Amino acid sequence: MQIEVQLFGAFRQFQPEPRLTLELPEGASVTDVRRALAAHAAAHWPRCPAGLLDATALASAEAVLDESAPAPTRLAVLPPVSGG
Amino acid sequence: MDPKHYRHCAVVDIARQPLDTAAAIDFVSDEAHGGLAVFVGKVRRQSHGRAVLGIDYDLYQPLTLRQFERACATVLERYGPTLKLYVAHAYGSLKLGDLAVVVAAGSPHRDEAFRACRDLIEAVKHEAPIWKREHYVDGSSEWSEGCSLCYRGEQSPAPPAAHAHDCADHRH
Repeated sequence: MQIEVQLFGAFRQFQPEPRLTLELPEGASVTDVRRALAAHAAAHWPRCPAGLLDATALASAEAVLDESAPAPTRLAVLPPVSGG
Repeated sequence: MDPKHYRHCAVVDIARQPLDTAAAIDFVSDEAHGGLAVFVGKVRRQSHGRAVLGIDYDLYQPLTLRQFERACATVLERYGPTLKLYVAHAYGSLKLGDLAVVVAAGSPHRDEAFRACRDLIEAVKHEAPIWKREHYVDGSSEWSEGCSLCYRGEQSPAPPAAHAHDCADHRH
């Protein structure tokens, strides 16, 4: 299954496009997406600081996703927030 | 009355219009309210000792609005259903002195108004998917460090130590 990932905040500086597509097996969980994203970061984002992904939430338009939940086909990558 | 009449949540493209403090006060005003509290966040000149030219704000709009609505619902439950609440955050490129966020609460008495306003701005800063990139006078720029949203999902357990994030620095 293809998962469309939308990038925000600090993740926008690692590549020109604000989104990317990950290929995962059917039935993948949110944790699986996190692992695939970490592999993508290791391969393509040399400036991604250690620990940033660990502090990053994965979310739908409605809520931060539980790590064991099935992955939706579209999700957002939310680094630590700094509004206000 | 429709609950929507008691709260106004918005994100505003700074390129189209500035935030409006007077509109916030108007919204939370009511003949039954003797206390209004307003918090205004502006782009300041210094950040962690560095001179700032401006800030770009990025946000995930649908979830930001949903988090604003959730924060308002929590505050109404906590302090009373007749409070009126206003939350608006700007996005885009803000200059020094521009308004980044306006939060207001109207209540019969001042204590609930102050508390509601404080709770709302803390929720905006720590729970809404909003990010800022500061631009400095030396030409450099940086995304600000912030608070992790990990394990803030409604079905999530408490955060394990490995994911704990230090949000002790509430100056951000």
